[in-house]
Amino acid sequence: MDAAALPWWIWPIALFAVSFAIGIVAVLAGVGGGVLFVPIVGGLFPFHLDFVRGAGLMFALAGTLAAGPPLLRAGMASLRLVMPLALVGSIGSFAGALVGLSLRAELLQTLLGLLIVGIAILIWRTRAADRAEVEADALGAFLRLEGEFVDPAAGMKIDWRTHRTLLGLAAFAAIGFVGGIFGLGAGFANVPALNLLMSAPLKVAVGSSGLLISVINSSAAWVYFERGALLPLIVVPAILGVMLGSRLGARLLGSTPAPVVRRLVIVVMLLAGLRALSRGLGVWA
Amino acid sequence: MTADERALRELYARWLDRAGKAGFALCLCAFIVYAGGLLPSYVPPAELPRYWGLPVSRFVELSHLPHGWGWVRLLGYGDVLNLGAIALLALVTPVCYARVLPRLFAERDWLQAALAAAQLLVLAVAASGLLAAPG
Repeated sequence: MDAAALPWWIWPIALFAVSFAIGIVAVLAGVGGGVLFVPIVGGLFPFHLDFVRGAGLMFALAGTLAAGPPLLRAGMASLRLVMPLALVGSIGSFAGALVGLSLRAELLQTLLGLLIVGIAILIWRTRAADRAEVEADALGAFLRLEGEFVDPAAGMKIDWRTHRTLLGLAAFAAIGFVGGIFGLGAGFANVPALNLLMSAPLKVAVGSSGLLISVINSSAAWVYFERGALLPLIVVPAILGVMLGSRLGARLLGSTPAPVVRRLVIVVMLLAGLRALSRGLGVWA
Repeated sequence: MTADERALRELYARWLDRAGKAGFALCLCAFIVYAGGLLPSYVPPAELPRYWGLPVSRFVELSHLPHGWGWVRLLGYGDVLNLGAIALLALVTPVCYARVLPRLFAERDWLQAALAAAQLLVLAVAASGLLAAPG
């Protein structure tokens, strides 16, 4: 079917539907929606990757803005942990956006394909770290990267602190840079970096990841905005779709077999990644 | 965790909640105005399929859309009004940081205040287009 022959209004409606579906499965699978949005929309819709990446940043930003307040109030997102990591992450993301908008689309598609396939493997292989007490390192102690929250599942108050702070800062600069280039939310990398590398409890890692995305994506989003890469006809249906989808996903969370959805998401990501790779290499345009 | 930290967290959460909801509501209203054709469009939606497959630099060149903040003068157009709503959504984070900064200074939490001020500076540079303007 020739995409150009379709009326224009089909595309925002289809984009809303796809964003809605991504919003649901992203919550059920516990992955950031941005990492699904860019390869799927970039592969199936007629939009240039510049506009898809700009919309991807706003898509991830919108999802985290809605989730942030309850996570903060529950103590699962820590401002003290977020502030230094978001600062280096947003500098990285700003630089990544500048670099990303200067690269050729074919190269970006190829790199995006490799990245998405790599992330799918990372999600498949990653397991959460068991809760372990760690000693704060000097930089972590200086930044006071510690806190407490009440875990409703365990029914107890958990005191936590992080370590490997310098490595953590470097990781978030790199995550921000990659997210800025490809318009991804980078929740897929934030959680392992906080949980596995810095030893933050998993719930604090997941909660703080959302807040980190809202800060880190803001700086890259402004670069795309400045360049004219935020098309309202693409951005707004995507934002509204993911907001509604995430809410439904949160409701379905208790009654849906999350591991099955997670495996489905990994398969979809592998297919979307291979599609981006084939477009980038000119195998299947 | 101290009472001050809890109060700070609550302050940030409250502003994130309010600013986020206001941003979403404005986005929705502006989009209804745009898609419903209640205002003229700078680039009519029916013409967008000619542009959205092009690189952004080419799109801006062909559509004559102004760079940077030049769109503010064109808010009477439905699509540009939507850009304004999206910009407000992207401003939610800086607004929250700007709200907690005076509290951090008042509490003499110099480290967090410095981090928040540096973050605002990064976001201001990004939003200003000083480094991001196309060459």
